Amino acid sequence: MIEFKGVNKYYGDFHVLKDINLTINQGEVVVVIGPSGSGKSTMLRCINHLETITNGELTVHNISVADKKTDINKLRRNIGMVFQHFYLYPHKTVLENITLAPIKVLGKSEKEAKETALHYLQKVGIAEKAQSYPSQLSGGQQQRVAIARGLAMSPEIMLFDEPTSALDPEMIGEVLDVMKALAKEGMTMVVVTHEMGFAKEVADRIVFMDEGRILEEATPAEFYANPREERAKLFLSRILNH
Amino acid sequence: MLDFTILTENFDIYLEGYKTTIIASLIALVASFLLGTLIAVFRIAPFKPLNWLGTVYVEFIRNIPLLVIVFFFFFGLRFSGPVAGATGLTIYTAAFIAEAIRAGILSVPKGQMEAARSSGLTYGQTMRLIILPQAIKIVIPPLGNQFINLVKNSSILGVVAGLDLMYHADLISSRTYVTFDVYIFVALFYLSLTIPLSLGVGYMEKRLAKSN
Repeated sequence: MIEFKGVNKYYGDFHVLKDINLTINQGEVVVVIGPSGSGKSTMLRCINHLETITNGELTVHNISVADKKTDINKLRRNIGMVFQHFYLYPHKTVLENITLAPIKVLGKSEKEAKETALHYLQKVGIAEKAQSYPSQLSGGQQQRVAIARGLAMSPEIMLFDEPTSALDPEMIGEVLDVMKALAKEGMTMVVVTHEMGFAKEVADRIVFMDEGRILEEATPAEFYANPREERAKLFLSRILNH
Repeated sequence: MLDFTILTENFDIYLEGYKTTIIASLIALVASFLLGTLIAVFRIAPFKPLNWLGTVYVEFIRNIPLLVIVFFFFFGLRFSGPVAGATGLTIYTAAFIAEAIRAGILSVPKGQMEAARSSGLTYGQTMRLIILPQAIKIVIPPLGNQFINLVKNSSILGVVAGLDLMYHADLISSRTYVTFDVYIFVALFYLSLTIPLSLGVGYMEKRLAKSN
């Protein structure tokens, strides 16, 4: 479904992504971990073309993301994205945040979009906040709205860019629960996170990155029990032992 | 003491000019706002030739005296006084408005653009529905300053036979040989426009701040 073939990316002289090869299949939950600055987020953001790749081949549904002829807006409809800092629209209510793209991009009627929005709000457990503004919600609630906003487009793929990193510790659980439920339903998910518990429990596959390279790709059981790479061992020992 | 007979005896003439000042200011206000917004979007659009066009416009226009721009339309293109004045004002003020709006747009977090674009909205839709409505709140105070400047700068019409307040005051002054009093009344007429404008901007600022 998502395929990286020999993808490189540079920021000027800085080599951010080095020869990335990765295939993500339908219904798979892939968790990307690694130290800060290892290129995890950049790789994720290439998938919906928020970042452009320098060379190599990146396809979603066999459509080349970097190709100038590709209708990028059409491609993005099918890929929901959740950001570290939520990025809800502050001048719109929760409901308007969720219905905007379905109305403007998919051409849904207001009534239909509203029904869909309420359905997903229910699903993420905050239907009663439909008329609130984002600033009136807690971080965890805002992030759940952001997830509902992504889901309302009925995407086949959801990208999560450190969705719990900006949250109070107490709020992390509620967001992870929503993500777990989503994974169980068979959503194709790519998640950049530091939540090892989540990775262990939900991931079909863990991708470990360091310095722009994918160093290791394994099931959670394999990865945690027996990481092959020294760097992965070091990373795990540092984050698991405190 | 002020000679109020200057005002009462020439009230119709003052009013005639006052009307033109208001009309020219209103036209220039609306037009410069639209043009300024367009130029601001040009300056930040993800398309180099537009950026270049926007930058050239701003750097060129805001570094020329308003009078020279008005003369260009009046003597150069042979526009009538009021039209040359209003056009010059529009072109000139738009450069400053563009800068104010650009600063406002840039102050909206980048993630807003990314979130909207990643949901499939086009660049234009994102600007119109997400970025500009947020930018406008930030932009209102500097925009208000530009509008107040615009009303005062409209006195430039007086120099090109623009039939405005200043032009008619010049007529009264040259007929009565009174200078001081005539222009004091002119100042009062301008204040009657700029003070409500100032209060209006303050009110909008408060109201928009509340809606956050």
